[in-house]
Amino acid sequence: MRGRRGDWSLLFVLWAVFIVIGELLAWKVDLLPGNYAREGEVVDEAYILLIALAVPVFAGVAATLLTMMVRHTTWKLGDAPPTEDGRYLPHHRTLTIVWVTVSALLAAGVAVNPGFVGLRDFRGEQRADHVIAVQAQRWSWQFTYENGAVATDELVLPVDERIRFDLSSIDIVHSFWIPAFRVKLDNVPGRTTQLYVTPEREGDHADNFNLRIQCAELCGLDHAKMAVPVRVVSGAEFDRYLNSLRTGV
Amino acid sequence: MWPLVRAMVGALVGYLVGITITVLAGLGGVNSEVALVFGYTLGLVGWLYGIGLGRTWVREWRGLPARPDAIEGWRRYLTFSTDHKVIGVQYLTTFIAVLVLGGISALLMRIELSRAGETIMNAERFNMVMSMHGILMVAVAVAAVLGSFGNFMVPIMIGADDMAFPRLNAISYWLNVPVALGLILAPTVGSFDSGWTAYPPFSTVNNHGQTLFIVSVITFGLSSIFGGLNILVTVATMRAPGMTWGRLPIFVWGAVSASILSLTVTQFFAGALVLVEMDRIAGTTFFNAAGGGDPLLYQHLFWFYSHPAVYIMVLPSFGLSLEVITHMSRKPLFAYKASVVAMLSIVGLSLIVWAHHMFTSGMANYFHAPFMFLTESISIPTGIIFLSALGTMWRGRLRLEPPLLFGFIWVFQFLMGGVTGIFLADVATDINLQDTYFVVAHFHYTIMGGVVFGFLAGTHFWFPKISGRMYNKRLANIFAVWIGLAFQTTFIPMFWLGTNGMNRRIADYPEELENVNLFVSISAVVLGLGFVLFIGNMLHGAIKGPKTVGNPWSATTLEWQVASPPPEHNFHGVPTVLATPYTYGSTMRHAQLADEPITAPLVGTAYEGD
Repeated sequence: MRGRRGDWSLLFVLWAVFIVIGELLAWKVDLLPGNYAREGEVVDEAYILLIALAVPVFAGVAATLLTMMVRHTTWKLGDAPPTEDGRYLPHHRTLTIVWVTVSALLAAGVAVNPGFVGLRDFRGEQRADHVIAVQAQRWSWQFTYENGAVATDELVLPVDERIRFDLSSIDIVHSFWIPAFRVKLDNVPGRTTQLYVTPEREGDHADNFNLRIQCAELCGLDHAKMAVPVRVVSGAEFDRYLNSLRTGV
Repeated sequence: MWPLVRAMVGALVGYLVGITITVLAGLGGVNSEVALVFGYTLGLVGWLYGIGLGRTWVREWRGLPARPDAIEGWRRYLTFSTDHKVIGVQYLTTFIAVLVLGGISALLMRIELSRAGETIMNAERFNMVMSMHGILMVAVAVAAVLGSFGNFMVPIMIGADDMAFPRLNAISYWLNVPVALGLILAPTVGSFDSGWTAYPPFSTVNNHGQTLFIVSVITFGLSSIFGGLNILVTVATMRAPGMTWGRLPIFVWGAVSASILSLTVTQFFAGALVLVEMDRIAGTTFFNAAGGGDPLLYQHLFWFYSHPAVYIMVLPSFGLSLEVITHMSRKPLFAYKASVVAMLSIVGLSLIVWAHHMFTSGMANYFHAPFMFLTESISIPTGIIFLSALGTMWRGRLRLEPPLLFGFIWVFQFLMGGVTGIFLADVATDINLQDTYFVVAHFHYTIMGGVVFGFLAGTHFWFPKISGRMYNKRLANIFAVWIGLAFQTTFIPMFWLGTNGMNRRIADYPEELENVNLFVSISAVVLGLGFVLFIGNMLHGAIKGPKTVGNPWSATTLEWQVASPPPEHNFHGVPTVLATPYTYGSTMRHAQLADEPITAPLVGTAYEGD
């Protein structure tokens, strides 16, 4: 028989080690690609917070599993049927109650933050400096700016201004996703869906390949290629761009 | 072989009659989709008639005695057998074959994705292979555990001689063959390329193969409903004396919970697909916005089935993995009642979380918060399953046997799947991660990790029971470690791909992601090759493996108290159940067989609680 204390010691040591490794990974390692929008920050913060919260849970289960593998497993194949039993331990009321309570608190906590908090911050206010209509069809995007200018080859946005995209589709369901902004919403035929974004860093597709619109809802043959570069520019340059579109330069 | 030939002739005749009716009624040409629908439907009727209904039910309706095929030996696996053990083996072998087909299609995709740009197939073929992989693997996940072990083991574990409705059971199995044929032959009329989700309006405007997809999947749903009904009625009515609900082995509870769902929600998917088909061939506009329809309606109907379907897949596997872990730990299942309550809570909760698949679909914003909260609350009952697994292992007499190894891996896989699920339940993170490789990695951890590894644990646990022989344990352990590791190197990088801008279901991706994709592809090939070892070991074990003793694991449940393989009616006489199935470490006995001399002191009493 192996001692009770050894199991718990090993379990807690492993747990602590896993937590340290996991939390370092969550907070110190840059797991996410470049972010160019305020909404993206909300998403990334939620992502990091969820990792930080998940690590102790993950570590606890993994540590228990590993403890049992190390201390209570006979690593030898037997041919005869086993004869020895473990202790008759069908339940443990206190442990079950504690376990369920802790997991309920965790679920509720995660639902509040980053859940409800993240949802509120992500949505932000229903106000826009610019409205851009985005019409999807297989397998291209068309952008109509407020001044009536139309573009299909790239999407140009002014930095630090709040933009509302009015998304629509003329054939089937598509999905408007800009990975560098962390935002996504479907273009659904027959309705206009609205997505707010506030770009906060200038850049273009050459700086970061995730500055692109990528269709994220399976739409057939060229679904993978239904992508258009996104460029975030200063307000002045944005105005110049709109004028150039209008005059066809 | 004869019944199969009869069935094929029946199917062909039915198919031709269907086409003829279509043409004569002026509904469409020989190659039209209407002809496909009628041809398939009547072909299905002809198939069932030929395989065995003609000689049983149809004869009885005509007042004649039934004359079921009396074929012995291995050929009985090719007949309309009503023996639940034969049907279990039919399911087992069929769905391992489908698993291999699905695996091959996965490898084809991974080879294409090993480099950016086109490598071995164009986008059209990729979409075909991707959709095929999806629906085949969904079918495996739904039916592999419930169809094979649900059929083979549940009746024996509760002390019954067969399922409640043996013929319905046979129909459930034989419906799967036209399903497989319909899906595999679909590319001949133009492949379905809208994934296994078949979202309209896309699925209302693509190739004719979509119609074969629709009729096949509806047929598969019918099989699933029949199977669920059968398991529920069997457990409700055919338990041996003393087998109270509180003494059911945990795998039976897993099968019961999943059956509640497959009996009650499968209809929603079938209904939604019927509407899609109507839009295709009857000129309706259920999902066509221009005609007043709504594409989102389908998504609600679809996920109202397909989210619970995830639990139709994993609940039997929860039960199975807990069952295996209990016997291999040689300790009673920890917190039995709590885990039964957990399974039933999952059944209930799974019905009210569907819209978490639709956070980016454009549905009304006020849906977000409640569906996020409800989804996250599923972690509470799921946590109890972990409590049960870990509490059972705690200081058990764990011995390195293949089923236990798969049990260990299963806990880890489902842990990964569960933890990464939180990122998809949270609205903010899901808005970015939805439809990316993060989702692909997550559901492969839950479905392949949770279901297939549970299935493998069960296969290695019950193999000697089913075949009476033992596989090579050392090879099986190597297989477990091999695929356990290759699985991690295949799917962990996918989380990174998802957060770094790779969306799912794409034949091509930005060049910047090439190296990681190459690594994933190589790992996937290694993972796939591992299964060669599995198939080889199982085949060799079934034919040439050493004869095993009746109860090689010294397990306590009823199926291990009879010979391996079990006799025709499972038991000689009716067994009496005396106590909990998990009597490890106690002096209680689970059951007393009718033909067994009383050798041990009887502790525990029939008909009373534990």
